[in-house]
Parts: sequence; C-alpha cells; structure tokens
Amino acid sequence: MRMEYKNFKEIPIYPKRDLSYDFLGLHWENPFILAAAPSTDDLDMVRRAFKAGWSGAILKTTSIEGTRVDLCYPMMSTFDHDGRRLFGMGNIDLISEHHIDVVERNVRTLKQEFPEKVVGASIMAGRKDDWQRLVERLENAGVDLIECSFSCPQGNIGEDPGKMLAQSLSATELTARWVKEAARRVPVSIKITPHVTDIVEVARAVKRSGCDALTASNSIQALMGIDIRTFTPYPSLGGKSTYSGMTGPAIKPITLRTIAEIARNVDIPILGTGGASTWSDAVEFMSVGAGVVQFCTAVMHHGFRIIDDLTSGMGHYLEEMEFRSPREIVGKALPHIGSHDDLPRRTIRSKIDRRLCIGCDQCVVACRDGGHMAIDARPDRIPVVNDDRCVGCGLCQHVCPVDNCIRMEEIAIQ
Amino acid sequence: MPPSLSHQQARIEAERCLFCFDAPCVKACPTHIRIPMFIAMIRSGNVKGSAELVRTSNALAMTCGTVCPEEIFCQSVCTRGKQDQPIQIREKHQYATTHGESSKRKPALPPRTGKRVAVIGGGPSGLGCAFELAKFGYRVDVYEEKKPGGVPRNSIPSYRLNDKQLEMDTKLLSSFFTIKRGPVSARTFDKVRASHDAAVLAIGLGEDRTLGVKGEDVKGVYPVLEFLERAKSSPRTMKIGKRVVVVGGGNVSLDAAATAKRLGAERVTLIYRRGEREMRVWKSELEEARRQGVEVRFLTNPVAFLGTKRVEGVKCRETILGKKKDRSGRPIPVEVKGSDFVLEAEMVIIAVGQTIRADWLGELKRRASGYLVVDERFRTSMANVYAVGDVIAGEGTIVQSVAHGKHAAQAIHHQLSERP
Ligand SMILES: Cc1cc2nc3c(=O)[nH]c(=O)nc-3n(C[C@H](O)[C@H](O)[C@H](O)COP(=O)(O)OP(=O)(O)OC[C@H]3O[C@@H](n4cnc5c(N)ncnc54)[C@H](O)[C@@H]3O)c2cc1C
Ligand SMILES: Cc1cc2nc3c(=O)[nH]c(=O)nc-3n(C[C@H](O)[C@H](O)[C@H](O)COP(=O)(O)O)c2cc1C
Ligand code: SF4
Repeated sequence: MRMEYKNFKEIPIYPKRDLSYDFLGLHWENPFILAAAPSTDDLDMVRRAFKAGWSGAILKTTSIEGTRVDLCYPMMSTFDHDGRRLFGMGNIDLISEHHIDVVERNVRTLKQEFPEKVVGASIMAGRKDDWQRLVERLENAGVDLIECSFSCPQGNIGEDPGKMLAQSLSATELTARWVKEAARRVPVSIKITPHVTDIVEVARAVKRSGCDALTASNSIQALMGIDIRTFTPYPSLGGKSTYSGMTGPAIKPITLRTIAEIARNVDIPILGTGGASTWSDAVEFMSVGAGVVQFCTAVMHHGFRIIDDLTSGMGHYLEEMEFRSPREIVGKALPHIGSHDDLPRRTIRSKIDRRLCIGCDQCVVACRDGGHMAIDARPDRIPVVNDDRCVGCGLCQHVCPVDNCIRMEEIAIQ
Repeated sequence: MPPSLSHQQARIEAERCLFCFDAPCVKACPTHIRIPMFIAMIRSGNVKGSAELVRTSNALAMTCGTVCPEEIFCQSVCTRGKQDQPIQIREKHQYATTHGESSKRKPALPPRTGKRVAVIGGGPSGLGCAFELAKFGYRVDVYEEKKPGGVPRNSIPSYRLNDKQLEMDTKLLSSFFTIKRGPVSARTFDKVRASHDAAVLAIGLGEDRTLGVKGEDVKGVYPVLEFLERAKSSPRTMKIGKRVVVVGGGNVSLDAAATAKRLGAERVTLIYRRGEREMRVWKSELEEARRQGVEVRFLTNPVAFLGTKRVEGVKCRETILGKKKDRSGRPIPVEVKGSDFVLEAEMVIIAVGQTIRADWLGELKRRASGYLVVDERFRTSMANVYAVGDVIAGEGTIVQSVAHGKHAAQAIHHQLSERP
C-alpha cells in the first residue's frame, strides 16, 4: 500500500565538505564553474545553476550593441563512438546574440541575488575602443572576472576573417594590453586556442600584456563527420556544412596537454576548459595547473544536476588524499612530466593474469598484427606471453577488456 | 543470494544507465532514492558519495539492496528496458552500500528538540520512522521485543539475507535512537504513550492465519512464521521431515518451501488452490524455489491433515477455476468432487497470510481486512498515536515499510512543531 505524506521533503544528513578556496584574488565556493556557452546565456538558467551549487559562471561572450551575430541552424552535431552519444560534440554557434546592454543587466541582477558566486563575463570586439567600453561597462555592473574570447573558431570580429586572434602573437599581446589597461578592478583572463604551433609563446605574450590569467583552452576545430550517401558533412544545412568546434570528452587529452605545457613554462594562473565531465577530470585539469575548471558540454548533455556528483566526489577525494583544500591539487602532476629523453629505460614484459583472463584473445591479435608477435594463443584460450619476443610496449594491456588482467612487469636484465 | 557485482560489472552496468531526467525509477521506488544520480556517482568513481545518497533516502539500504523486489518497483519502469534490458538497480545500490560505506563520515544530526517519540516495533517501518525522526532532533525510543530488524531479521531465510547484511543497516542506525528491549503490552502501552509526545505503532504482522481445516493442530503442522523463525535462529537443531507439504501460494510460502528443501527435506511440495497465473509472487522467488527443487502443485486444496500423534499426510482435493472472481480480481477455485488424494508428509507448513498480533489495540479503528485505519498523516483513531508498515498495509514489502516510516516521521514532526 503506497502512502505518502504530501509535505514530505528529503533531508540531507551527510555533512557537505567545505571546498572553498581563493584563486585569482577571488573566493570560490568550489572549483566548478560554467564555461561561456548557451548554459550561461540566459538569466534563469544561471540562476538555476547557482542554486544547484555551481560556484560561478562565465556569461556567454557578448559584444557592443549593433554587432551582427549571424547564426544558422542546426548548429549542433555529435561524434558518437562505440554506441556512445556525445563522445565529442560539435557546434557552429557564434557569440551571444545578447549585446552588452543585456549582459550588464544580467551581471547586476546575478551579483545582487548571488553575491557569493563568481560572476564572470566573456567579451569579444574588434576595435580598441569597443574592447575597453565592454570592460568598463562590465566593471560598473559589478562583474568579478572578465574573460576575452581570442579563440572563437567560427569567424572573428576583426580584420582577418577565419583566423583567431590568439593565433597571432602580436595581435594577442596588443589586444590583451588594451583590455588590461581598461580593467581597473577585476582580473582579466584571455581565452586562447590550442590551434597554434607553440602554445607557450602565446602564453608568454599574454603574460607580457599584463593580463592576469589564461583560459585554456577552447574547442578543437573539426569536421564532425560526413554523410557517405550525400557527401554532406555534419551538421548539414541544406546540403552545405562547415567546420565545427569540437568539445566534450574526446578533447580532454588535448586540453590536458595544453594546460600542462603552459603551466610548465609560464607562471600564470589558468582556468581550465575543454573536455571535463566529472570530478576526477577536474582533478586532472587542476593537477596540470588549472586553478578552477569550467564545464560546458557535460552540462549541455546532463544538466546542472551533475554538480552534485562533482562536489560530492571532490569532497571524498580530498578526504582520501588528506588534502585540506582543492588548491593543493594544483600542479601536482607537473613534476612527473618531462621530455622523452628524461624517461627511464627499463626492461619490462607483459604479464597476463590467468585467473582473470576471459579468453577473448584480443591481445593475441593486437600483438600479432600491431605489436611484436609475442602473445601465443592456446587451446584453452588463455594466451601466453613469449618473453623473448615481448618488448613491453603495453598495447595488449590497453586492448584487454578486463580490469587489471594484463600488467607490465619489470624483469631483471640478464 | 545472487553474487554481488564486481567493480567492473558495476561500472559497465552504470555506463548503461541513461541518466534520465525526472526519472521514473525514482518515483517507483517508495523511498525515492535518487537512482540516476547514485548510479552516475558509481560511474564517476565516487562510490562513497553514491552510498551516502542511497543511505539518505533508505534507512535499510543494504537490506533492500539484497532482497527488495526491484522487478515490481524501480526496475519495472526503467527507461533502458525499452531499449534492451533494464538496469540492475537493486544490485547497484547493494554495490554502493557494500563498497562505499565510510566510517569517517557519519550522518550529522541536528540538536535535540527535547521532544520524545516512542516507536513500537523495530522492523523496517519502525527503524525507518525512528531514523527520520532523529533527523529532526527528536529523542526516539524504539520498543522492540526481539533484536531489531523485524521480519528481515527473524524470518527472511538467511540464504537470501544474512544477519551480517542486516546488521550493516542496524548498526549504522543504532546510534540515532535508543532501543528498549521487551514487549509493549496493554499495561505498558498507556505508560509509553504518557511518557512521549507521540507514539508510532510499527508492530507488523506477527500472527499466522489458520486454514480452519481438520487436523491443523496435529504435531508437525507449523504456522509459517514459527517455522521460518526457528529455521533461521536454530537451523541445526531443527528437525525437518523427509517429505514436506507447504500450503500457500504467496512469497512467504515459497521461502518456507525452499528453506525446508535446504534444511534437508527430500521432497517438498507446495500446494496452491489456483493456477500459476493467479499466484501473487515475485518471479525471482518462484524461480529460486524451483531451482532448489521445490515441486509446485497448482489447483490443489487441502481438506484435512492426517495423523493423530504426528502429522502423516495431507488429504487434498483438486480444484478448477470458476467464473466468479473474488475481491482480489482472481477467479474463485471450485473443488472437484471425487478428486481426493493424499500427499504423505512428516511435516506441513501453513503459509496462508498473517494478521496483527496484539491484544491491546482494542480501541483502534480497523478496516474490514483487520489492518489499522490511518488518515493521510498516518494518524490512527487514537490521539497522538500513529501507525506505519504492515500493520496498516497488510503484507507488504520492506522498502514500502521504510517509506511509510519516513513519511509518518515528517507528518509527526509537522504536527508536533505546530503546537504552541
Ligand atoms: C517470510 C517473509 C519474507 C519476506 N520477504 C521479503 C522480501 O524479500 N522483500 C521485501 O521487500 N519484503 C519481504 N517481506 C515483507 C516484509 O518483510 C514486511 O513487509 C516488512 O518487514 C514489514 O515491516 P514492519 O516494520 O511493518 O513489520 P515487521 O517487520 O513485522 O516488524 C515488526 C517488529 O515489531 C516487533 N513487535 C511486534 N509486536 C511488538 C510489541 N508488542 N512490543 C515490541 N515489539 C513488537 C516485532 O518483534 C518486529 O521486530 C517478507 C515477509 C515475510 C513474512
Ligand atoms: C554551443 C557552444 C557555444 C559556445 N559558445 C562560446 C562562446 O560564446 N564563447 C566562448 O568563449 N566559448 C564558447 N564555447 C566554448 C565553451 O566555453 C568551452 O570552452 C568548450 O565547450 C570546451 O569545454 P567542454 O568540453 O566542457 O564543453 C561554446 C561551446 C559550445 C558547445
Ligand atoms: S529500495 Fe527497492 S525499489 Fe528502491 S531502488 Fe532499491 S531495489 Fe529499487
């Protein structure tokens, strides 16, 4: 017999862990904020996100009144992999259709309603005056942080269409200087692109400009796929298509490398963005140098509710690691990254755990045709590694579908 | 007991979950565990967070994780089931409670309000209620005749739920209220009421129904609860007949039949007066009993138990299903004349339902079925006395009883805090 009391409300009983810390001169309730994207383009959506527990948001990139934002639809596409949706997500979105007048109003309202949250705003312009006007108006509205989009992959408001601002060192430094000049009160972060020959040079240019931080990095330019019967790539707009900005889990390793490379070479605070979906992704981003982590695709897929797992997971992780604050994670992985020359040369061999092996023999074929022909199939389907042929490349370990079944073990050199 | 999920199985299963929004499973679980979220937590590797989420909603998380009939609740509406197979939700929350329980992080309760509530009965509904009351800062006394745990402790066979699993729940709960051992009786009931701001009846159903058939009092004929309780508390000294007949047709009769088989009976026959389609059992239970070798004879009615000193057999009569239906909507079986036969047996177990066991509830209003009447706030007809669980619902489930307890606790809280 189902019976419910109509005023029932679930009461949380497990104490929430304090995840707050300071970064960029700002106080963050936790390291999780919303990236500049559709989720931050609407006042009600940001309100809901803040209530759900996000510590801040970068409002979607805005511009001076009158700037033309010529959107076309559909703008989204997806890179599905092995039956999984949104492994990568593509968009041909542009900056916000809301100009600075709307955004300054939103900033004001949000700061009034949520003084403890970090309200950032993203801007983009062409002329010096416009960049500086945007900064001034946002500062007056009470913004906490300004992010400059130097990396919108879908065109740019500027002289060199198709090229991103952050792809030119001189333009980056010059524009960043204009912005920093105008910002009297709040920190400025430059959102860069990984599509450059040397990310470190870009980071140095930003550093020279005097700006406070980098947002690294944006989406990856991609052609999301092609309909092989009509030969139209995705997304298809009446038979035509264009390159998309790809985001989501698929780009995480690229972002990790970008952040790590900057952090190893330039002393500048970093806001991480590009491919984070879980609390452990955030830990990884922070461990290579990000001070906070921005989320976009994961929220567009599953909603603001993912913050519950982000904060809970981070809390338990800190406890397990005996860290007092998320700050302690920042940079933890950097000392472990070096050049190829610095790596130790060891003699290792593949070891298959007979008790765990389920006999799919995928390692056999992978090694036979892609490794060193070092794994022999057996009638009982439990393969055996030939130590004389195995060089320890590790391929088999990564094709094995069973947790911990294949390990690489060091062997004594005879 | 099906084996628990391994880490990898749990992860693969979590990856199948669609993470539905406003998910139907959450509504279908009487305790409204936030299922997609706790599964997402397993997927992200936050098993401790997952366990906390499950525990927050369901005081008997481990017990339900082991024996909750998910196929009639959460799993029956799983969206993924429309694509291929529904998610193994119960197995997943058993996984979360097994691997995610942390000794470091205990639920934090508010300061005491100074008010006291008595919960009579420490079964699923009583424990669920006491825990929820503690969340509001009440001092709660749980009066329990036996060890806390109710039917799951005393009667559910240990091959389905063992004491260790149940104790994972009761141990965590025990610090939030006081257990007072001993039965509440007509005399003590008034005292208990007088010394508390409210009292909750959570005494379940302790009395076996009888068939009213000749020979029911012969030695060797057991009421089912008595049989299961003895089988669980002292399986070694329990003497099992070679041939056992179980009279029933519900889940409880299946538990009894499978238990008899496990304890060494050579031949166990379950007789049921209707057909398989009319049997109100959880599929998993019937399968388990059959797997253990229990024979089920449908369309069979007992007419007498034979034997003088000890039971020697059951005289049965075949039935057919008539056109007329009873209150439950199932056809009424009609006995077939001249179809009598005898099933020889050294032991007979009668499992035809339970009723309330308490002679001190005389003043309380009851429904025609005998269970207590409550209003939408779980209030009985007696002032400041509430009731939850099987005592209002009849034979129910653990999760539903826990949910009753939770909801009643909040109704009680609102009532008590409205007072000047
Ligand atoms: C054999 C069997 C198997 C079952 N299997 C399942 C299953 O697998 N899954 C499932 O979900 N449900 C199952 N159920 C149903 C489920 O156990 C019950 O619905 C549930 O236990 C009811 O909870 P309750 O708190 O209302 O009552 P109970 O569990 O009956 O608890 C009542 C408690 O009150 C105590 N008590 C009674 N009178 C007094 C008194 N005067 N003073 C002090 N204490 C008193 C009793 O000792 C007992 O501990 C099963 C039931 C049975 C009988
Ligand atoms: C539909 C869409 C619109 C976006 N719009 C902006 C934008 O206006 N300005 C900006 O700086 N970044 C924009 N981004 C990029 C995101 O802020 C973010 O950096 C990127 O999606 C990578 O992070 P993720 O993998 O967490 O999604 C947009 C991304 C998407 C998917
Ligand atoms: S308690 Fe039962 S209904 Fe609720 S989630 Fe667990 S198995 Fe499903």
